[in-house]
Amino acid sequence: MTLRPNTPRRWRLRRHGSGGRGASRHGARLAMLLGAATLSLGTLAGTAAAAPASSMSSGMGWMRCAHLSPTAPVDIYVYSFKDPMAMSVLRHVAYGGVGMYMAMPAGEYTIGIRPAGAPASTPPVLSASLMLRAGQAYTVAAMGPPNGLRLQALNDRLTTPDGKSLVRVIQASLRQPRVTLRAGSTTLASNLAFPSVTPYGTDTPGQWMVDATGGSETWSGNIKLTAGSIHTLVVLDSSSGLKVADLMDAAGSAVTPHGGVATGLGGTVPRPAPSRLPWLAGLAGGLLVAAAAAIRLRRGRAMRGHAR
Amino acid sequence: MRAAPRASTANAGPGRHARHSPPWRQVARRPLTAAVLLGGVLAMAITIVGLLVLAGRPGHPPGSAGAAPDRLAPLVTLPALAEPVTMAAAPPVALQIPAIGVRTRLVQLGITRQGKLQVPSSASVAGWYTGSPRPGEIGSSIIAGHIDSYLGPGVFYRLRELHPGDRIYVRQADGRSAVFQVTAVHQYAKAQFPVAAVYGPVPDAELRLITCGGAFDNATRSYLSNIVVYSTEVSAMPSMPSTPAMPAMPTSPSGVAHGRPKP
Repeated sequence: MTLRPNTPRRWRLRRHGSGGRGASRHGARLAMLLGAATLSLGTLAGTAAAAPASSMSSGMGWMRCAHLSPTAPVDIYVYSFKDPMAMSVLRHVAYGGVGMYMAMPAGEYTIGIRPAGAPASTPPVLSASLMLRAGQAYTVAAMGPPNGLRLQALNDRLTTPDGKSLVRVIQASLRQPRVTLRAGSTTLASNLAFPSVTPYGTDTPGQWMVDATGGSETWSGNIKLTAGSIHTLVVLDSSSGLKVADLMDAAGSAVTPHGGVATGLGGTVPRPAPSRLPWLAGLAGGLLVAAAAAIRLRRGRAMRGHAR
Repeated sequence: MRAAPRASTANAGPGRHARHSPPWRQVARRPLTAAVLLGGVLAMAITIVGLLVLAGRPGHPPGSAGAAPDRLAPLVTLPALAEPVTMAAAPPVALQIPAIGVRTRLVQLGITRQGKLQVPSSASVAGWYTGSPRPGEIGSSIIAGHIDSYLGPGVFYRLRELHPGDRIYVRQADGRSAVFQVTAVHQYAKAQFPVAAVYGPVPDAELRLITCGGAFDNATRSYLSNIVVYSTEVSAMPSMPSTPAMPAMPTSPSGVAHGRPKP
């Protein structure tokens, strides 16, 4: 783990995949949202600036922040409890904006929400703390109605049954307080109330036509689920009605190979120098036999000569 | 060469000049002893050749790994991965790791009938596991390569020498590249290979490089451990602006001049 003090990291807004009917409509809306969300520079000082790591043994976990309340844009601050100087900020996050996952050292963090552009010295309108564990991922989302805004920390799953996908639904549409989501014949969320989250459900990988229905509003679009991937579908209000944003929470191998990998045949293994003894013994033996035979030949010749 | 015809004439008068008879006459008379003599000489010749070969054999001929054919025989064909929902990347085609001098094209790997990760048929190239996310997409992408062949070093011979912070470059089919930074290097016994940690889902774009390591078991002709290099994509990060807290690197001519020893 290399620590690079004061490495600035930028929080990025995730691109939402919105396909199917009304894709361009939603795309335009999304582009507006993303454009409005000025990308910010967050400075994670000290240990919080460590290069991202993956394995649990390195003591890192992941966190992403989201603004899922139909209110004005906000600034989302993340403070490290361990290191008061460590801070990260995601500026001007509009409704529906979701940051990339950031790898952070395990420990306690405080998340603070301020109106977009408010000085960091002002008290946050909302704050919550999160105990981030190594090898775990979290989504911290501002949720609820404008007059009842709250911060909710969701534990994001990082394992799937082999060859399957996981999907959960966040209901963040205020205009339609109850929404039902279906993928084919599978019901992903039934009359899900605003603002709430379903547990992850196991789904068969493939390309699914997802339909969202709330009151008189509907949305439908294609969602691709690859084996070994984990998704969060977020139901949002848009100027043209309901829309569903597909967030990729995590992805791994579609089929998990068994055991270790046979990536070596031993050609570079330091071996003891092969012994020369057998060869020398062979040489000596051959010499002996040859000498004995030669002597015998000579002797036989001499004897015959003598006899004559 | 002229001895042969003369020998036939000598045979015409057996025993006439026994005392001065040439050796072949002796051979004819004592075939068994002669055979033993010949055998002894042959044995000596063989052992001498053996010793010479032993002395002259090079340890690891450089580049010998490259002699093997590159073609990969697919054992099990996996269905093509569906398009990723976010952060789409083209399939990887080449890999570069300057810190350890790796520069190779990438073949595609599947799963063997035994359910294990397929490995490149050549030790000189690495391969991307097509069942894993593409490098640069969200998830744990897998690239495997040999540490060695029967003859000498393979493409990942020096993989264990990587350190956190080293850069890994993956070129994609569309000409773009993904850049990764090593975060950890681990060695696992194959018997306790952590499949969930290596192949399991992760929420950011990561790349894991796998090769062999540890002790070599001569009985099974295989290494007992695997080396896994963990890395995370950095190309997605912005270029680092200089801040007051962190002085910028001396890249300007004046900065370089400043670094010179004063006369």
